[in-house]
Amino acid sequence: MQAFILRNVLQRLLLVFIVSILAHSVIHLAPGEPSEVDPANPRMKPEDIAKIREAFHLDAPLYMQYAYWIRDLASGELKSFKDSQPVLGKIWRRFLNSLPLFICATLLVWTLAFPTGIQAAMHRGAVYDRTTTFAAYTLISVPGFFLSYIVILWVVDLFGVPVIGLKTFGMELAPPLFQTMDRIWHLVIPSLMSALGGMAILSRYVRSQMLEVVGQDYVRTARAKGATEDVVIYRHALRNALLPFVTMFGFLLPGLIGGSVIFEQIFAWPGLGRLGYEAILARDFPVILTLNFIAAVLTLAGTLLSDILYAVVDPRIRTGLQGDG
Amino acid sequence: MGEDEGEGGHDEGTVDNVSDLTKNPKPPVEELPPSETPWQESLRLFRKDRLAVAGAYVLLLLLLTAVFGKVLTEWVVVFDPEVVRLPEKFLPPLTVSSPDEISAHDRPFGGIYLLGTDELGRDVFARMLQGSFVSLSIGFIAVGISLAIGILLGGLSGFYGNVRLGVVTVDTLIMRFTDVMLCFPTFFLILTVVALLPPSIYNIMIVIGLTSWMGTARFVRAEFLALRKQDFVVAATSIGARDRRVIFAHMVPNAIAPVLVSATIGVATAILTESGLSFLGFGVQPPYATWGNILADGKGFIFDAPWLFFIPGMAILVVVLAFNLVGEGLREALNPKLRRR
Amino acid sequence: MHVKRWLLLAPLLLTILLLQSYFWVPTYEKQATGNPARLVTYIEASSGDAKILNPILNADTASSGIAGLVFEGLLDLDENLDFRGRLATDWTISETAYLLVSPSNRLPDGTEVTGTNLANRIQAALQGEAFSELADNVRSIEVLPPAPRTHTLSVLEQDAEGKPTRREVEVTFDVPERVAFSLHRVDQDFFQRLLPVIGDRYLEHFPYERHLTFHEAVPPAIKAQVFAQLPDLFPVAEHNPLIDFRLREGVRFHDGHAFDAGDVKFTYDAIMNSKNLSPRTSDFEPIKAVEIPDAHTVRVVYKRLFSPAINAWTMGILPEHLLNADAMQREMDNRGLSEAARAAFGMRDSQFNRNPIGSGRFRFVEWHSDEYIHLRRNDDYWEGPAEYQDYYMRIVPDLLTQEMEFRSGAVDYYGTQPHQVARYKEDDTYQSFSSLGFGYSYIGYNNRRPLFADPAVRRALGMAIHVEDFLRYLLYGEGERITGPYPPNTKWYDQSVEPLPYDPEAAQALLESKGWRLNADGWLEKDGVVFEFNLITNSGNPIRKNIMTIAQNAWKKIGVKCNTQYFEWAVFLKDFVNTGDFDAVVLGWSMGIDPDLYQLWHSSQAGPQQLNFIGYNNARADDLIVRIRQEYDQEVQRTLTHELHRLIAEEQPYTFLYSPLGTRVLDKKIVLVNKADDGSERYEKIYPIPSGDIMFHFHRWRKLELTPSF
Repeated sequence: MQAFILRNVLQRLLLVFIVSILAHSVIHLAPGEPSEVDPANPRMKPEDIAKIREAFHLDAPLYMQYAYWIRDLASGELKSFKDSQPVLGKIWRRFLNSLPLFICATLLVWTLAFPTGIQAAMHRGAVYDRTTTFAAYTLISVPGFFLSYIVILWVVDLFGVPVIGLKTFGMELAPPLFQTMDRIWHLVIPSLMSALGGMAILSRYVRSQMLEVVGQDYVRTARAKGATEDVVIYRHALRNALLPFVTMFGFLLPGLIGGSVIFEQIFAWPGLGRLGYEAILARDFPVILTLNFIAAVLTLAGTLLSDILYAVVDPRIRTGLQGDG
Repeated sequence: MGEDEGEGGHDEGTVDNVSDLTKNPKPPVEELPPSETPWQESLRLFRKDRLAVAGAYVLLLLLLTAVFGKVLTEWVVVFDPEVVRLPEKFLPPLTVSSPDEISAHDRPFGGIYLLGTDELGRDVFARMLQGSFVSLSIGFIAVGISLAIGILLGGLSGFYGNVRLGVVTVDTLIMRFTDVMLCFPTFFLILTVVALLPPSIYNIMIVIGLTSWMGTARFVRAEFLALRKQDFVVAATSIGARDRRVIFAHMVPNAIAPVLVSATIGVATAILTESGLSFLGFGVQPPYATWGNILADGKGFIFDAPWLFFIPGMAILVVVLAFNLVGEGLREALNPKLRRR
Repeated sequence: MHVKRWLLLAPLLLTILLLQSYFWVPTYEKQATGNPARLVTYIEASSGDAKILNPILNADTASSGIAGLVFEGLLDLDENLDFRGRLATDWTISETAYLLVSPSNRLPDGTEVTGTNLANRIQAALQGEAFSELADNVRSIEVLPPAPRTHTLSVLEQDAEGKPTRREVEVTFDVPERVAFSLHRVDQDFFQRLLPVIGDRYLEHFPYERHLTFHEAVPPAIKAQVFAQLPDLFPVAEHNPLIDFRLREGVRFHDGHAFDAGDVKFTYDAIMNSKNLSPRTSDFEPIKAVEIPDAHTVRVVYKRLFSPAINAWTMGILPEHLLNADAMQREMDNRGLSEAARAAFGMRDSQFNRNPIGSGRFRFVEWHSDEYIHLRRNDDYWEGPAEYQDYYMRIVPDLLTQEMEFRSGAVDYYGTQPHQVARYKEDDTYQSFSSLGFGYSYIGYNNRRPLFADPAVRRALGMAIHVEDFLRYLLYGEGERITGPYPPNTKWYDQSVEPLPYDPEAAQALLESKGWRLNADGWLEKDGVVFEFNLITNSGNPIRKNIMTIAQNAWKKIGVKCNTQYFEWAVFLKDFVNTGDFDAVVLGWSMGIDPDLYQLWHSSQAGPQQLNFIGYNNARADDLIVRIRQEYDQEVQRTLTHELHRLIAEEQPYTFLYSPLGTRVLDKKIVLVNKADDGSERYEKIYPIPSGDIMFHFHRWRKLELTPSF
């Protein structure tokens, strides 16, 4: 087991290295300059621009720029082009903003998908099943921003409460409980919006997983023994159906960064996705690269975690996994 | 795909997992008459899925619309999407164009705006028609690219996986590369590349294609690995059939089913991705109209001209839904394990 | 069945927890009426976040907006766009002019040129009737002794491989005697007026080679380069305009530290410090020295005539005690930086830029990136505290959600688009103000391309576009037709110039008179070539996109084939605009209040990466542009700018389209408070001021609980 983990970790470290080189080259070779190097600004003279380029190492050869980036990243002194603030600090603050949204959305996905999916499986072919199937596909198919706007318009018109941003302004004097609840309310709609798609997919997955398990011998046996339907479904079937879901926890991590640019943009949520988006617009290379790097590390950590979880819960798979990361 | 714009890639992975892990979503239905070929069988199964059939009709309609749209807006200009008629801006659907304001040459076909006009007085119906072709071609070409790469790499890895190149096998090399690609948050990657490159329609197609082949590659490889051990392939190989023949005559046709399913769903994802990019201002640029950029432009006028927002939005929803339903229908109909029961 | 129970209970509980939070949130109604703190809070929505809150380092609108509230300059602009004292109470502009004594010359009367002789001659001449005007302006004349000056010059040389490299050459210039004139007013023609006394050709030549010593042996090619630079470094006749500022006493920064002349000098030094990479260096480059005779006096000496230079002093003044070398050292120590980071550490890296301390009306409270910036009023402000207690800039990136927040009262202001303004104008809840700003939009033709070389062709293209229709339908009247290169709300703009008429037939006739004939396909053709070109702009600007579409449509009607293309901003600049490799562009300028058009229109500025990218080249215009920037008398400037405006309007290098109106839509509950001396208050409806800056009286705004009626 240790050797398995060690080998996987080493492989992934190599991957991270390759990913970072790839990302670095793509971004530096693409046309366009950081927005600080702004030739359209009549105040800037060619000498000023040359100075800025030098300060950003933009004229150094590519491999040297890569080396500077890694050096600064490692020492934690990497600075954003845009405002010269330490990149890691910026990312950390945005991470803290994204976290509640991410947790809330994940909770919604996982708690709502299971009952829906199980019910659908139990009533296969019935109106409930067909309705949820159709609803799930509709949610997968609707452009996220289209639905969000409709929901925002609806909530604002009908209930007259603010939904944009992290909190309501002008509540600084309200009691802490009110302020907390206000913050929770501002979480509801953006997290629901970003959870809908995941909920639809997961509930479909739960449904098919349950259907498969229900047909297995041990479930039939349990049923034949005269166990009640609930016991059959929730004790025998569900437990076995859960196995593959263990691996999905691993895939949750990267969702933090990939986050959702679009929902953060609509709901004015200052999260990681928007940090990345703004950085792309300003060609703030250190921020883009570092975010990409962290995303890659998280993805790999996630797959590692799911491999290990899988290997732990199902030893048969261990050998198979070694070839297929 | 729910967080479609956010993490299409990961979700797509989930969908693939569904296909891998869902060995038999439905128990045996009935005894099959032996005379049926597999394709006839699939067709019959597909027909039983009413949602999928409805989706298929929608897609047929869409295909016709796209072709007619191309013909009628560009070759034989019946509906001109580019005529600007400032005095007739923001007219709601089914408004009749006034002959006093607009010269005969500029009037819309039949003198009526079926879906209203936009902020420049352009005919929304004509723009939607034109957009249907562009939107569809983005979906198809992006998926085409992604399938080509996915099948090639997956096939190589699955068939020649054991061939050694120096210290590593072909399989290791390709699969590690696939892993590298999976490390990038897909939408973020697309956004980065599209934002940094000049915004041409081809770049968008290529970028979507280049960032979405990993799922296909992985299951084509898995399918090939499984097929290689099947009797008919072993037999073909043992009688000395050439690799090319084994691959194209025996393996590809058998691996095509999941590819078809993922292609259908891939087109849906590509259309959604394009609309997400349009929302952020990095979508297809004029003069091409796509449903995505009509929607993104229309959102600013939601209080003034709601049809500019709802028409393209609903159109995208219906079409993407149709693709997804057909994809799901195909998945169930083509699933050989399901058939065998 | 625990599992089942929990599977159903968990989502239920979660949903209840989330949904019940709704009941704790105040509705918009309550926010506006029941919450007293909201009434003294002004919330503005911005689509982009600020980058750096330091007046000498920022270059973006959001940052300058906030920096403008936190920091204060020596001057600002009053209601009529004239200067008004802020940290400075008053200021005078005068001049010292220097004339090199050139011994190789002879005076007109044949006598030898020496310092005393020259000074005496001029002194004597000034007594005469002919020079009375000049004499009024001369305060004193003084002869300065000769003095050697050592200079390091940068020259180009070929290295071993034949590649040009920069090289520094050290030389000593023996500055001869000089006559210094102290003048009351700046006079760009001062030396020209003296020519009858000193001789017509006096200014034309100076024997630099006789006064120069090289510190090392250099090849002749480099010597030639050095000599070429000398007339600029040591001109025969030199103008040194001076500004003397008297500073306001008793002003304190937000941390209580007193403001004085040292802060002004520090700010100037910080801008010129190349390590800080200030984007404002070029504004202050004409300054020769900033002197501080005492704690409340600042004298700025300029190297040459450059009248717009005074504008630079509207920039906010930094507190020296928080940013000087000691403070930087302390910050580096506190943050425990590595050696490499210390070496690179400059003002740009300081945390000051995220926690600015200035002396303006509002002091900084906190900044949550991409969420909001919070300011609170400065009760210690020398002009008295503002009415609003808190100021928030909320960052709401999406334009539609901005509007939703505004409609429901969660923000007081956002950048309204014209079609929204049209809607709010009909709504009784809101008041709206539209006024001219400093920007305008245009279609620029690459004047170097043969297709656009003829002004008549450019005129015809302009006449084909119905700009009025565009303003009416797309901007809903929130734009004003313009005819020339100045913002129409400044006095530099000549209101008497008539715009091009909309007349497609005449446009077509004009093109036909230049040899363009309609071909079978309906396109104009000359010598077998179709009139076809590419019109480009940057992507992401809906108005420009519409201009493109409309221009394309309009030109199609007269047989001109125009292809439109959109490029991302960086690509657009790098590949097309900077290289001059384009046919026509749709763009806009955001101008300053000064009349200097050197960078945009002077023919010397048409190279790569320069702003006269359309390659406009007109000798008369060049001459006018230079005279305007050297003139300090606003009336004279005005005559000159009107002439320049007419000239450019005649030539049509751009099709000048319109200047967008800046619009502010506000709740009617926001009013202007007039405080009488006895402390009584009177409310007044907010009114636009002549300069167009609606925020001019912002410090006197207040939000009332009920909508007042006036």
